[in-house]
Amino acid sequence: MTRREMLTLSRNGFGSLALLGILGSSPIAPLAASSSQVIQDPGVPHFMPKAKSIIFLYMDGGVSQVDSFDPKPRLIKENGEDPYKKFKVDATQFNKIGTLMRSPWEFRQYGESGMWISDLFPHIATCVDDIAMINSMYSEFPEHTNANYYLHTGIGIQGRPSMGAWVTYGLGSENKDLPGYVVINGGLTPPGGLDNFKNGFLPASYQASILRAGDTPLANILPNESQEVQREKLKLMNVIDKSLLNQLGPVDQIESTISNYELAFRMQASVPELADISKESKATRQLYGLDSDDKHLRGYAAQCILARRLVERGVRFIELTCPNCGYDRWDQHFNIKDGHEANAHAVDQPIAGLIKDLKSRGLLEQTLIVFTGEFGRTPFAEERQPRGRDHNPQAFSTWLAGAGINGGTIYGKTDEYGYRVIENRTSIHDLHATMLHLLGIDHIRQTYRFSGRDIRLTDVHGDVIHDILT
Amino acid sequence: MTLVLIGLIATSFWPSNKDDFQLPKKVDFNQHIRPILSQNCFICHGNDPESREAGLRLDTEEGAKAILESGNRAIVSGNPSRSTIVSRISSNEADFRMPPPESKKILSGQEKAMIKKWIRQGAEYKPHWSLVHPKKSLNPADRTLTNTEIIDKYVHQKIEEKGLVRSPGASRSALIRRVAYLVTGLPPTVDELQSFLSDSSVQAYVSMLDYYLSADAMGERWARHWMDLVRYGESMGHEGDYNISHAYEYRDYLIRAFNQDVPYDLFVKEHLAGDMLDEPRYHPTDHFNESQIGTGYFFLGEGKHSPVDIKEEESDKIDNMIDVTSKTFLGLTVACARCHDHKFDPIPTTDYYSMYGMIESSRLVPIAARKPSNQQDLIDELRTAKSYIRESIADQLMIQLEKEHERNELVQLTDYLLKSGASILPDSSMNILADFRSGERTGWYEEGIAFGGHASRGELLIDPETLEMDGLITDFASSRTLSGGVQGVLHSPNFTIEHDSIVVRARGNNGLIRVVIENFQVIQGPLWDFLEARVNGDEWKDYKLEMTLAKGRKAYIQFLPGDFIEHIYQIEPDDYIDVQYAVAFSGDHPIGSGSLRHPGQGVQQADITEVINSWKKGSASSSEAAIVSNLLFSNGRRIDIAPQNEHLSQYLNLSKELFDPTHFIGFTEGDAVFSPVFIRGGHENLSEYRTDHRFLEMFDNEMAHFPSGGSGRLAWAESLVHPDNPLTSRVIVNRIWHHIFGRGIVSTVDNFGLQGALPSHPELLDVLAVRFVQEGWSIKTLIRQIMLSETFQRSTVIMDENNELDPDNAYLSHFPIRRLEAEAIRDGILTVSGCLDRQMYGEGVPVHLSSFMTGRGRPKVSGPMDSYGRRSIYRTVRRNFIPEMMLAFDMPIPFSTFGKRNTTNVPAQSLTMLNDPFIHEQATYWAERVISQKDQRDEEKIEQIYLTAFSRKPNTEELDTGIQFLESRFSEIAGNKDDPFTKMSVWKQYCHAVMNFKEFIHLL
Repeated sequence: MTRREMLTLSRNGFGSLALLGILGSSPIAPLAASSSQVIQDPGVPHFMPKAKSIIFLYMDGGVSQVDSFDPKPRLIKENGEDPYKKFKVDATQFNKIGTLMRSPWEFRQYGESGMWISDLFPHIATCVDDIAMINSMYSEFPEHTNANYYLHTGIGIQGRPSMGAWVTYGLGSENKDLPGYVVINGGLTPPGGLDNFKNGFLPASYQASILRAGDTPLANILPNESQEVQREKLKLMNVIDKSLLNQLGPVDQIESTISNYELAFRMQASVPELADISKESKATRQLYGLDSDDKHLRGYAAQCILARRLVERGVRFIELTCPNCGYDRWDQHFNIKDGHEANAHAVDQPIAGLIKDLKSRGLLEQTLIVFTGEFGRTPFAEERQPRGRDHNPQAFSTWLAGAGINGGTIYGKTDEYGYRVIENRTSIHDLHATMLHLLGIDHIRQTYRFSGRDIRLTDVHGDVIHDILT
Repeated sequence: MTLVLIGLIATSFWPSNKDDFQLPKKVDFNQHIRPILSQNCFICHGNDPESREAGLRLDTEEGAKAILESGNRAIVSGNPSRSTIVSRISSNEADFRMPPPESKKILSGQEKAMIKKWIRQGAEYKPHWSLVHPKKSLNPADRTLTNTEIIDKYVHQKIEEKGLVRSPGASRSALIRRVAYLVTGLPPTVDELQSFLSDSSVQAYVSMLDYYLSADAMGERWARHWMDLVRYGESMGHEGDYNISHAYEYRDYLIRAFNQDVPYDLFVKEHLAGDMLDEPRYHPTDHFNESQIGTGYFFLGEGKHSPVDIKEEESDKIDNMIDVTSKTFLGLTVACARCHDHKFDPIPTTDYYSMYGMIESSRLVPIAARKPSNQQDLIDELRTAKSYIRESIADQLMIQLEKEHERNELVQLTDYLLKSGASILPDSSMNILADFRSGERTGWYEEGIAFGGHASRGELLIDPETLEMDGLITDFASSRTLSGGVQGVLHSPNFTIEHDSIVVRARGNNGLIRVVIENFQVIQGPLWDFLEARVNGDEWKDYKLEMTLAKGRKAYIQFLPGDFIEHIYQIEPDDYIDVQYAVAFSGDHPIGSGSLRHPGQGVQQADITEVINSWKKGSASSSEAAIVSNLLFSNGRRIDIAPQNEHLSQYLNLSKELFDPTHFIGFTEGDAVFSPVFIRGGHENLSEYRTDHRFLEMFDNEMAHFPSGGSGRLAWAESLVHPDNPLTSRVIVNRIWHHIFGRGIVSTVDNFGLQGALPSHPELLDVLAVRFVQEGWSIKTLIRQIMLSETFQRSTVIMDENNELDPDNAYLSHFPIRRLEAEAIRDGILTVSGCLDRQMYGEGVPVHLSSFMTGRGRPKVSGPMDSYGRRSIYRTVRRNFIPEMMLAFDMPIPFSTFGKRNTTNVPAQSLTMLNDPFIHEQATYWAERVISQKDQRDEEKIEQIYLTAFSRKPNTEELDTGIQFLESRFSEIAGNKDDPFTKMSVWKQYCHAVMNFKEFIHLL
């Protein structure tokens, strides 16, 4: 059934019914539980899901794989040597190719799996047995904006639906008071802008709502009048808007606006409650690092706690953007030492805290955590000092943890320099396919008809990475 | 992958019934075939030789029809069975079939059939549609039709072709609201509505339309559309969000230009080269030069806070200018060719770096914004007044000298140059950037009128306060050739900084020396404050700027009166700068104290009478002027200029008239720079060759080649509006269509390249584009023609039959329901509440800062919540502090061209309308207005509210529900219905609810 058919079915005013729902006077409230459920993809889930929610930890700018999760001893030996003498060097975005550069950080083995993690991430290192590491990711684009669109929408241009929009289109939100797709803004909007989080050609209600951590997560979230007055007004609006819809026929724009009010009304109660992390226990605060001296760490800790609270409330897709530590994201073309250290310090403890917290609450088994940048970095430095690394779409590391993930797995291999993938090349489409798979969605079957064609998140690509799944 | 979209659009022309391939009568390469090939085949058989398989390329006709390694041909025109492409795509064998299974691409039966049919019909390749000039001669059938008739003809044709049903015409109420909002961005007033409804003549609609087209508000709305294209901002974003000096002059220029309906070709030329037009356009009543303000858009981009890599900053800024310019005017993404030849469009990197060089050759300077058309007359009059004063002084001087018996003495002309200090001659350890003592200024540029060219020696300097002689312009360049406070910039040729310091011998009052390296303008700490020195003091002094951190940089130096305060240029009437010379040198060179010796002048003798006469005539040399100056101001001699009162007061009046503190930052010409190609976009990896200034290579004809010299901006501008340019007219016509229907004939309004969408009505677009040019590039005319069409006047009611066939309404069987833009919503609220202040133009109203708007660069003072009731266009656009309501309703963040705004639907919109204090405040004002009509019954009040908000009367249900609401609220509050407070409270609640009716923010 197409979305249009669904709308036609409910043309006698699903939006109005939905609005009645919030007023508590609808005879068929269940149908109106969430507007997005009404027009979601029928037939989903395609099979039994392992995950209910995804937390997408987006590492804006590109973490260096050879400094984090993919140790390359050869770089220590050949530090300072000319990469052109070692392998074919692709042109990089900045093309200021310097010499091979050893990692400034030591690697150690952790856990039962003995996974190698660098000293950048001592806390995440304690979770390796819950993590499946993919060292063989590659991207198609060496440039942030395109790579970001690619990572978020499966295509390197602006304007396509984001993965979060696809997920909520498929599954809706479990919580009728909150949007299904939330971006928790850490301060840095990725290159490419908010289009990374948009609905593209999917209905507008599938775009991300952008919250920020803190007491007041959203502007105008508190009513400016008594609840009673507001409800009276909403009742009046409902009657008037319903008769408008009756005149006009099934107009998506108007229907969406109506359901938007419905959501907004409920969010007035749910969002302040959601965002209030003051009642979190001392142990939890410590676990995440909420009282750290590093204000960026504190900020990211609040984001991570908020993410857990969203998971608890059934929100489907949560993306965290990075805090601004003053080094232009993870994008260290120079001075990778200070930049990566500051970024890693901000996110390491909160992420480990999140994994452990979810685990102890029994939520990790139904939550998929994905940690990834848009691409990796080169094994050689740029010419500038202090040394840093350029973009490398040829190889990078991504890890997943939680629902359906076989912890301790290491998947794929790069060459001895960490420059190119030599085993199990894994694309963004494969990652997307796997994420959808864990949510019970077959990435090939989940399509949306747009301009006469059935389109999917993975375009015509993508294979589920079964080797990292339980 | 990026090509998928194109494919989709092409295939959407047919119903999707899988077994019934409805093929077009004539298969068109552009419309039907290229999308299939590019989506499925070009990855291995395209432009890129590295990934090409089997030596076959399908993106060019030669490649596709050549004999392959196998001896076969992929495509044989007219013969599908001999074309291997057909057997390969039709094969059932996985090994043989194309595209191969691993590509995961599958051609549909229809696509295969389409390719076969195309080959059978001759396999004709065509250049991309938008690069082919629209046919100038119309079909005979169209020649006698008006544009309005042509619009309806082509739109109806498609509607019939697609089997759609047209919706009926819209009601008159809907029409006036639609026209008023789309033309002016404001709802119709009740008076306007009544007069339209009561006009029963056949001309009623036309008169109403013309009324709005001629309203001042028209320019405000269409200027805002344009501002989306040129990423208009008044601050630079990034960390500091620094001010962009007087950006609003450009905004006001736009408003006036749209209101005056400036022909679009002229408007385009003004943007690229308004400073260089032979016949600039002057304001019709205020007579100032409008054209020059057009280039103001170049400077409105982002700017980083102390960028470390200043060359990279330059290349990023120029990149943004290229991006904005090429998208805005041509609908081409030339910026994609920064690192490599464009992947899809025929745009090589050399096109990019040709534009780059042109922009690099242009300099951003403050330019007086009210340059009057009679400026030269004013200057001449002022000079004449001054020459009368000068002559009288000369006469008095002669009389005095006679008395003192000094008249016949001989003087040594060069004496005055060598008077003080140890003299040193320039040598290789220094670079003399300027030595103005001789009057020589070869290679230097002057913007504005302050520095008066070379012929200013001996010019009188008059103190505006004491009205006494302040000296003469002798051996220096001065911004006071006319008087103090006159705007102008004296700037040098390009040079490379090779020495440790630059010393400028100068004096002045609030004068400024700036060294501009790599065209970098945002001069300030912590990194770059050394590039500027303020000149203050009447005594000559050496101003030394340390340059060690800028060594090796391309630079020019500029002198100007006035100062930048927080990046806003400011000038006062007594500001000036005088400069003798500027020298770059290294080490402890004993330079200073005016000791640089002027080289090469021999000692000559002259008669004092001759010297004075020469000065009197206004033809004094530097040293003659110096002698006169010495005679005038030494030996306690005192010559009073008061007797020249008549000329003096004339001079004072004229100098006041010439004082003009308004300005914008725009382009002026500098040295021609021909840029090398930055290999892979890296500014440190340059090609050996340099690119010419020329137009895009795809237009390989007369418009492509430029006369040499200068930046080439003017020639570029002329190429944009050249009759052979196929894009410019189509792009603007499509933009106007887009703003009216919410969707362009080409839906990708900023991209007419191969990645862009195909036009839904190609013939119509072409006819309109050709006619647009023929009829004088008039935007108002085109809007009028479109709005007169039946197509435009259809209702928004969707006919059931069309739901499946054209769910996106691409064929306009009904008028699309549109949500109003952020600005129109806010301006509409102010209109209904009665708080709209229609004052036009001027400095932006400061942003109202909510507690959510935090971050660096936050303005110290918040503006008022209602922005004084001014229209949204007059609110300052601070990149880092764009009001949440505007963002929620999709006002774009200005980073690049945004021809098509998003229309999103997020809870923030509803939350704003429900809870924002501004909305509540306006609801209160509206209620006050409603209550003030004391003799109206409640029913009448509601009716008035509906007329105000929706341009129509309420129906019975709406009226009844409204009354019920009011009554229930009155009884809830349990107050006296006549108690003013209760009344206010209840009516405010109702008005607020009305603002939240969905109709309020939508166009029906």
